[in-house]
Amino acid sequence: MTSASRTRSMRGAGSVALRRAVRGYVGGAVSEPSHPGAAAPERSRDFVSDGFRLRVHEWGDPAAAPLVLLHGGFDHGRGFDLLAPLLATRFHVVALTSRGHGDSEWDDFYAWPNDVADAVNLMRSLARPVHLVGHSRGGGQATDAAVWAPDCVRRLVNIDGFGPPPEGFVLRGKPDPRSLPARFAAYLDGRRKASERRWRPYASLEDLVERRAAQNPRLSREWLRYFLYFGARETEAGWVWKTDPEFGTGFGPWRPEWVARTWHRLRMPVLAVAGTEPDVWRLAEEIAAERLAAVPTLERAAVAGAGHFVHMERPRETADLLLGFLEP
Amino acid sequence: MIALAHGRISIALHPLREAPGPTLLCLHEVAGSAADFRDVAWPGRVFALDFSGHGRSGHVRGGSYYPETLAGDADAALARIGPAYLVGAGIGAYVALLLAGGRPEQIPGAVLLPGAGLMGGGEVPDWSSEDDAHARWRSFEPVPPGCDPAVRRLERDIRPRDYAREFALAARRLLLGEDGGARPPWWEAVRESPAAARAPAEPARALAFLAASLE
Repeated sequence: MTSASRTRSMRGAGSVALRRAVRGYVGGAVSEPSHPGAAAPERSRDFVSDGFRLRVHEWGDPAAAPLVLLHGGFDHGRGFDLLAPLLATRFHVVALTSRGHGDSEWDDFYAWPNDVADAVNLMRSLARPVHLVGHSRGGGQATDAAVWAPDCVRRLVNIDGFGPPPEGFVLRGKPDPRSLPARFAAYLDGRRKASERRWRPYASLEDLVERRAAQNPRLSREWLRYFLYFGARETEAGWVWKTDPEFGTGFGPWRPEWVARTWHRLRMPVLAVAGTEPDVWRLAEEIAAERLAAVPTLERAAVAGAGHFVHMERPRETADLLLGFLEP
Repeated sequence: MIALAHGRISIALHPLREAPGPTLLCLHEVAGSAADFRDVAWPGRVFALDFSGHGRSGHVRGGSYYPETLAGDADAALARIGPAYLVGAGIGAYVALLLAGGRPEQIPGAVLLPGAGLMGGGEVPDWSSEDDAHARWRSFEPVPPGCDPAVRRLERDIRPRDYAREFALAARRLLLGEDGGARPPWWEAVRESPAAARAPAEPARALAFLAASLE
């Protein structure tokens, strides 16, 4: 968390009404935004996976070869509004929004294998093998889904989803100095308050944009305004994230060497995509290379000028790479 | 029965005995329940918990049962009843270790006993089973009526030795119920902690052993 966002989080929700009044908020709904190059899904539907209602967005001819997209943590399926229309010229593009994100149903707790299973369930529902593409957390889950269900996946694209660095993602540049039991105690303290856990409402969509811009300085405010409009909802108290506040609150043993432990089993062609620019969310190249060394069918590609959010920062270049790699 | 909230799950805490003396909280094995401790003898208050997915507690909708989330169930009980000795069987023993290490100021001691869910899924993910991982993730051995079948995942979670060791070193007192039976790597790591000592594996004898040491 940046110092700016910490300052913001210290403001109570009680001040929201006042700030809205100061800003001249008159209660009108914010109209659905547009963004150059972004295309809303042609079709949206619910897909029920192991009892959970998940949002699926689709672009392109349903008779064309299917291509499934998986988004990253705290993102949602509408984050593909820039990339999907470019792929829909050739494919039937199907973007899954994972549990607890966007307009998909919330779970009680979150577990990585549930998301992998959801991806496999969706692929099986499409009745023929698909091209599978995932970004960040979705890239890692796409890779695991290809291991779990190789019969479902023609080709796999992982966009900077090669797992966290060994120390985990450290936003302020310093690993957590606390002992494991002390961190567990902090986790338990959080669990004690979990029943009341809610996102703090923000006075305006602009405030959400600023919050996320602090975390993802490479994404334009114009894009964030579009992307976050679909990732948040306006309530009486203000704007709140759609993502379940329970998401990302887990605790357990984890080892960096477990990330790529099964990737040697991949037999379909695999394309690993990364940006070239420094980004706190981008895995260092030497670690990515070490993990990807396990993949026997690997191709690598770099997108110049992109950080971690490759497909949002450089949609045209990303689409061209994918269209070159994925057979019709 | 006392209904406690852990996140969105309702957790059932059963007061079993009211008496002056130290408090004991009982943590059952996989597919067990608070009723397993109905006849416990202890010189003080006794509570027993139904973990999520078990007994009269709520089920986790997506079946994401992990020892750490069960520790959250038990910690909700500690928030209610205050400091307590723990006795845990099977998965309850592993959860008792996590709590004894994470909340040493609230847990003067814990008795770890064998039972379902003691072994866990080893120290590293099982690479050989990935071929049927999708089916494996979603299919379970039978459980008693009312129990969520997905609690069987608590027999497969990963428990590295060095992970357990850190909790064992932070704990105040751990009594390990030994009977010569097979014990997992995490248990072997706990044995090496200065906080650990041997105890009988039979529940009544193990608790009598602890109670005698408190007098």
